[in-house]
Amino acid sequence: MTLAAERWPAYVEPGARDSRAVVRPDSIAGALVVWRIELTKLSGMIQIRAMVLLSIIGPFLVLGFLNLQSATPGDTPFGQWVHAIGLAIPMTILGFGAQWILPAITGVVAGDIYSSEDHYGTWKTILTRSRTRGELFAGKFLAAVTWAVGIVLLLTVTDLIAGLVAGREPVVGLGGQLVPAGHATWLVAASYLSQLAPMLGFTALAALLSVATRNSIAGIGGTVVIAVLFQIVTLANMPAWAQQVLLSTPFMAWHGFWGAPPYYGPFLWGLVTCAAWFAVCTLAAWLIFRRRTIGAA
Amino acid sequence: MTGVTAAVEVRGVTKWFGETTALDAVDLTVSPGDVHGLLGPNGAGKTTLLSAMFGLVLPDEGTLRLFGRTRAEAGAQWLDGVGGFVETPRFYPYLSGRRNLAVLAGLDGGDAATLIDDALKRAGLTGPVSRRKVRGYSLGMRQRLGLAAAMLRRPRLLILDEPANGMDPAGIRDLRTALRRLARDGVTVVISSHDMAQIEEICDSATILSEGKVLAAGRLDALRASAPDPVWRMRTSDDPGTLALAAPLSEVKAASHDDGGLVVHAAKEDMDAFVLALGKADIAVRGLDLDRTPLEALFFQLTGETKAEVNP
Repeated sequence: MTLAAERWPAYVEPGARDSRAVVRPDSIAGALVVWRIELTKLSGMIQIRAMVLLSIIGPFLVLGFLNLQSATPGDTPFGQWVHAIGLAIPMTILGFGAQWILPAITGVVAGDIYSSEDHYGTWKTILTRSRTRGELFAGKFLAAVTWAVGIVLLLTVTDLIAGLVAGREPVVGLGGQLVPAGHATWLVAASYLSQLAPMLGFTALAALLSVATRNSIAGIGGTVVIAVLFQIVTLANMPAWAQQVLLSTPFMAWHGFWGAPPYYGPFLWGLVTCAAWFAVCTLAAWLIFRRRTIGAA
Repeated sequence: MTGVTAAVEVRGVTKWFGETTALDAVDLTVSPGDVHGLLGPNGAGKTTLLSAMFGLVLPDEGTLRLFGRTRAEAGAQWLDGVGGFVETPRFYPYLSGRRNLAVLAGLDGGDAATLIDDALKRAGLTGPVSRRKVRGYSLGMRQRLGLAAAMLRRPRLLILDEPANGMDPAGIRDLRTALRRLARDGVTVVISSHDMAQIEEICDSATILSEGKVLAAGRLDALRASAPDPVWRMRTSDDPGTLALAAPLSEVKAASHDDGGLVVHAAKEDMDAFVLALGKADIAVRGLDLDRTPLEALFFQLTGETKAEVNP
C-alpha cells in the first residue's frame, strides 16, 4: 500500500473549478447518470443476457416444437390455428404466457434493483457519492422501466418475425372474421404493444416490493405470486368492476382488437387501471425509500 | 477558531431505533484540517453518528452541518468533497475492484474516472488484483478498496469507520502515514476506532461516546490532562518489597496482578521517582510497560469498560 506516497489531488471548490472539475448536474441529469450505470450493470448480468437470448430464440424454439407435434393448444385463443396460420403462433404465445411470464420478466429486474443493494450492503457505498437519494431512486426506476419496455419491444419483433416466417396467411379473428395478413400483422404488433401498460404497472409493483421488503426473493417472487393470484382471482365469479381494477386484466385487453367489430373499452380502461397502479406503487416506493435508514440500525 | 466554519458541527443530534436511543443529544465540533477520533465501546453510537454525517441515517432531533450547511440547505451538494465509508466498505461482488471504482466514479461524475488508476496504485491494488472480482477480496483488501473509492472524491472531509479493520501491520502503518499526510494537506478527518494507540498517534482531538452520549470531548492534550494516572505493568526482583515500598505513597498505587507481576497506577513523573526509589532499596526492575495510556485510562474510567471488553 502506498497511499501516503504522493500528494493526492485536492478538492476543488465549486466556484473555482477548472475544466476537469466535478460539475454538479441537476437532478434529471443525475438520474440519467444513475440510469446509464444501472443499464451497464444489468448488461453484465448473466440472467439478463440469458433472458434477452431466450427472447430472441424462444419464438423460433416454439415454432420448431409446434412443427414436431400434431396437437394444438386449443384452449388458448388462436391455439387451434397454429399449424395453419403463421401469425396465430405469436398470438398463442401471448395468450398463453402474458399474464405470468411478463410479470416475471420485469420482476427479475425491478424486484431486484433496489433490494440487491441491500443484499450486497452497497446502499451506503453509493449513497455516499455525489448522487442524491432522489437521483438514485429515479435512475434505478428508469432502468427497470427501460428493461420492461425493451423486452416487450424485443418480444414484439421476434415473435412477429417467427409468425411471419411460419406463414403469412389471413388470420381468423376472435369474432370468426377473416383478417388479411397485412392487417393481422399490425394487430399482432398492437396486441404485443398493449402489454406495455400492465408491464409498467407490474414494474412499479415489483419496485415497491423490492424497496419495502429489501429482499430480492420477495421482490421477484412476490411479483410472480401476485400475478398468478390475480390470474386465479380472475377465474372466480367477480363483478366486472373488480375485474377491471386487477393489474393482470389489461394483459388480455388485446382480445378487443381481434373482435368483430373491434372494441377498445377494456384497453382504455386498462390504461387507467395501469396508470393508477403505476402511480400508487411508485409513490409508495419513493416515500418508503426517501426516509429509510441505511445500515447502522 | 472563531470565524472559521467548522468542518463538522453536530448540535443536539438524537436518533432512536425503536426503543433504543442510538444517539442522545450529541454535540460535536471538528475544525477544518483536524483529525478527530471517535472512541467508544461497541454500541456507543459511533457508526450511527458517522452514518448521520453521510446522510445515511436521518436524525430525529438536532442539526448536523458539514462546512456550515445542513443537508436541507446544501441539497444535492451536501456530500461534495466528502469521502469515506461506514462499517466495512461494501462493493458489488460480481464486479472487479476496478469496475467497482468505475461505477462509483461514474456516480461522482467529472474527472473521477481519471483518478482510478492512481487510486488503485496508492491502495496497493494494482495488477491482477484490481481485475479480480471483489467477492474474492479479503477484509483488508476491501478496506483498501474503500480508501481508494473515498479518494476518488478528492475529499476535504474524510469520514472513516474503523479503517484499519482487517489490515495487516504494514497496511495499518501506511494508513496512519496516509492520514497524517492528508491532514497536513488540510483534509479534515473524522475516524472511529477501537485502537486508542492509533487515535493518540494521529488525532488532534477526540470524542468519547458511550450509549449514544458524549462523555468527553476536546483536544487530546486537554483530555490527557483530565485523565486519571496511567496504568503500568511492572515486574521486579522483589514484588512484596515493592508493594511495601509503595504502600505509604499516596501518588503511587500498586497491587499484585493475577497473571503475575504488579499493576501500578502513577503519573509518569511519580513513576520515575518510584523506580529510582526501588533501585535505592536494592529492588531490580525487570520489566515496565505502559498498560494504559492516559487516554485509555480516561476511556475506561468514563465508559466503565474493561480492556478485554473493548479489545476482545
